[in-house]
Amino acid sequence: MKKASPLFRQRRRSGILFSLPAFILVAAFLGIPIIQAGFFSFTEWNGITSIWHGVSTYNHELHNPIFWRVLQNNGFLLLGVPIAILFPMGVAFLLNEKVYGWRIFRSIYFLPTAISWVVIGMVSMRFFAQEGLLNGLLRSIGLGFIKTDFLSSEQGALFAVGITFIWSMVGTNTIIFLTGMATLDQSLNEAARMDGAGNFRIFRSITLPQLRRFIQFSFIITVISAFTALFSLIFVMTGGGPGFGTTTLEFFIYQSAFSRGEFGTGAMLGVILFIMMAILGIGQLLLMRSED
Amino acid sequence: MRSNRFGLKKVIAFISMVILAIVMLYPFFFMISTSLKSKAQYFGAPGHSLDSWKKLFSVLPVGKQLLNSTIVCAGSIVIILIVSTMAGFAMAKLRSKASPVIFVGIVGAMLIPLQSIIIPAYINASKLNLLSGYWGAIFVYAALGTPFATFLMTSYFRGIPDDLVEASVVDGLSYYGTFIRIALPLAVPAIITVVVLQFIQIWDDLLVGLLFIQEPAYRTITVGLGALSAGRVTDIPVLMAGSIVSAIPAVAVYLIFQRQLVNGLTAGIGK
Repeated sequence: MKKASPLFRQRRRSGILFSLPAFILVAAFLGIPIIQAGFFSFTEWNGITSIWHGVSTYNHELHNPIFWRVLQNNGFLLLGVPIAILFPMGVAFLLNEKVYGWRIFRSIYFLPTAISWVVIGMVSMRFFAQEGLLNGLLRSIGLGFIKTDFLSSEQGALFAVGITFIWSMVGTNTIIFLTGMATLDQSLNEAARMDGAGNFRIFRSITLPQLRRFIQFSFIITVISAFTALFSLIFVMTGGGPGFGTTTLEFFIYQSAFSRGEFGTGAMLGVILFIMMAILGIGQLLLMRSED
Repeated sequence: MRSNRFGLKKVIAFISMVILAIVMLYPFFFMISTSLKSKAQYFGAPGHSLDSWKKLFSVLPVGKQLLNSTIVCAGSIVIILIVSTMAGFAMAKLRSKASPVIFVGIVGAMLIPLQSIIIPAYINASKLNLLSGYWGAIFVYAALGTPFATFLMTSYFRGIPDDLVEASVVDGLSYYGTFIRIALPLAVPAIITVVVLQFIQIWDDLLVGLLFIQEPAYRTITVGLGALSAGRVTDIPVLMAGSIVSAIPAVAVYLIFQRQLVNGLTAGIGK
């Protein structure tokens, strides 16, 4: 083996030294805590003392109907994901046709990403309230009999959270697809048109495959948001209620630990969430790799 | 005939875009119009007033909380920038066998959701006495922002030719000197992207601030608002006035740095 030159050794040493601060920071505040979460998920923990229970903690939780109720809420929000992707795709498609003023529309649609979930939640709460705009709109189109305080029923509140979630994804996903459409190869469209392909056929067979990477990216961003970005929205809008009507897994973690003092259960739910997100992330990575 | 149909299509597309614009801007309309009403006016009395704006400053220590938000944002972003530029430079230009492992260790942490670590991190921070001031929140935000920032910096520094680094080292600059004098100035666009992304994220965050800042006097504006609105017996026009104040800095940053924000968002797609 060739002996490493002094310059090479110096470079290697600097390389490790330079990456150390980032590594230590991430390890201290993310790496160690996730290992601790793994450990404490097998215990009953009040933040100070813990009692080891082993796998039975998981077993116990899997037989807890509230846990499944919470996952069902997550499942319901997932139903919104296709809408949160397809609708912005349509919007991006129209903007990409260079509708008059498209640049301004693009800025407007993306603007809500700058405001906090806290603010969005407060406005949304009033929108869905008994005397809110939604009921007013329903009345004006003759559907006044539906009039209800959406946030006072479990289904209504979850529906309200879901709609707000979809609304909040419009900007991000529109931008993703606009970026994607800017990379499209126009000459392919022209060639297909010469061969007699119609608009729909061109969209399905030429545009969509070229957008594949962007669709995947928007899918993963949207699913991750549905699972991990809605805490503040739920905190402000419904507090997880009524009952467990809008308690999602991420909110359940917070409640377990900081409302009920069950830190062990919270840690376990956190591990479950982490596993779900890791499977999603790694699956996505493998999928992209297999296509390259 | 054909051009007519084409024109009609454009008009319909335009009208749909206008309707969507109204839907997306609705929170802003609602916030502004509601904040210009007193409580009685909000419940139906006619007219407008600045009552709620006057009240806001007595209910919420707005100035102090804006300052707190600024301190927390600045502190976390400075830490993120220091560690991510250094690590990114090391990953891109000072490679060794250990690099891929370190890279996965840092960037792979993106897969960890905040909620999964928040309980142990909270307990640790409380044991280390980090919850009484700003530091607990600053460190957590910094750690959460570092993986993506390092990813961004690494891909950015990869775009700088190796020769540039080697030449300056041959010319007698240390690696540290090369980093500070050659690499950092070239990385300004990526640095701006990180600052803008992180500023909006941290400024708007509730959960970390809620848990990791225990003293009400250190609360950020977003946490202050969140706590106020969770009180339930609330004055909605006052909350809306507070919302506007809290939203202005992030919206301003958005309007100025829109392009960098989009770059940051779509950086995850590139090969």
